[in-house]
Amino acid sequence: MFVLISQIFAMVLAVIVFARSYVDFRSRTESLQVFLFWTVTWAMIVVVALFPSIIEYTIRFAGGERAGLGTFFGMVIVFLFFIVYRMYVKIEQIEQKLTRTIQEFALRDDWVNKH
Amino acid sequence: MRERVSEVGTVVIVMPALNEAAVIGTVLSKIPVRIDSYTTVPVVVDDGSTDATGEIARRCGAYVLRHVTNLGVGAATITGLKAARQLDADIIVTMDADGQHDPAEIEPLVQCLIDGQFDVVIGSRLLSSNGMPPTRVMANLLLNVVTFIVYRKIVSDSQSGFKVFSKAALASIDLNSSGYEICSEIIGEIYRKNLRYKSVPIRALYTKYSRAKGQHFLNGINLILGLFMRLMRRT
Repeated sequence: MFVLISQIFAMVLAVIVFARSYVDFRSRTESLQVFLFWTVTWAMIVVVALFPSIIEYTIRFAGGERAGLGTFFGMVIVFLFFIVYRMYVKIEQIEQKLTRTIQEFALRDDWVNKH
Repeated sequence: MRERVSEVGTVVIVMPALNEAAVIGTVLSKIPVRIDSYTTVPVVVDDGSTDATGEIARRCGAYVLRHVTNLGVGAATITGLKAARQLDADIIVTMDADGQHDPAEIEPLVQCLIDGQFDVVIGSRLLSSNGMPPTRVMANLLLNVVTFIVYRKIVSDSQSGFKVFSKAALASIDLNSSGYEICSEIIGEIYRKNLRYKSVPIRALYTKYSRAKGQHFLNGINLILGLFMRLMRRT
């Protein structure tokens, strides 16, 4: 039951991400590369959700007989944290640029003569 | 109407303001026109208000700078301090626009800076915490500790927005916080630049209005997280 719920959950999220990304791509607010990246990423997530045994085959194929699913998902979590950190840094940089722009704009706005 | 920036010395009073139309006029009207031999020049930074804060402040004789969108109290304070530099201010005061700080206390704080030849004077609400709700006293003490952990400097009221700076102090400090972390960042700069400072007791006026406008619990959490993120970036 839990597996079925998680499979449905993954598919619903994948559809939402794909639809959003496609709309952004059509309106040219997202590049083809970014659209393809999210499409392929979420397609892989859905495949793994539907056929979880793929992970075990992949681990064995890669020669990691002793590594289990826990190791794999541990690596996934570390990778996700890395992405979150990168996003945090990027957002912070954008916020600082926006702040500086608005401050410069306020200070160039002939404010002394408006007094 | 106040005097424009004149040949005599000037005390620029920086007031970041967000939707303070209800009180900004009253606060500005209570600011002394002169302190000692200095002319006072109020500078209101309208941080993206959706009410008439800017217009009322301008009508009351203040210089008004407007952020086209809300950036936060830290960014608004920095804009005001940059404006003070452009006005070649001799002394710079920062204070809240919501009426929590008593404009009558500007003069003693400025006088303390002049007489004591300090670089910074901090108006401390905790040296005489009369009228401050106990929860706020506790929250401010906690924030003093967090400020100490992040910036290695302990002061009696690290979160006070009522401060006075000398011209030299303003030229030496380097700030970039957008939010409430600005107060702690200033304490860090006092330590980093080895500035001479003094904490002077002030009264915080807790009206229904200023309580509603003041910091809330979630703001405090954000502030602590923001300070720790700064600590992590430095290490």
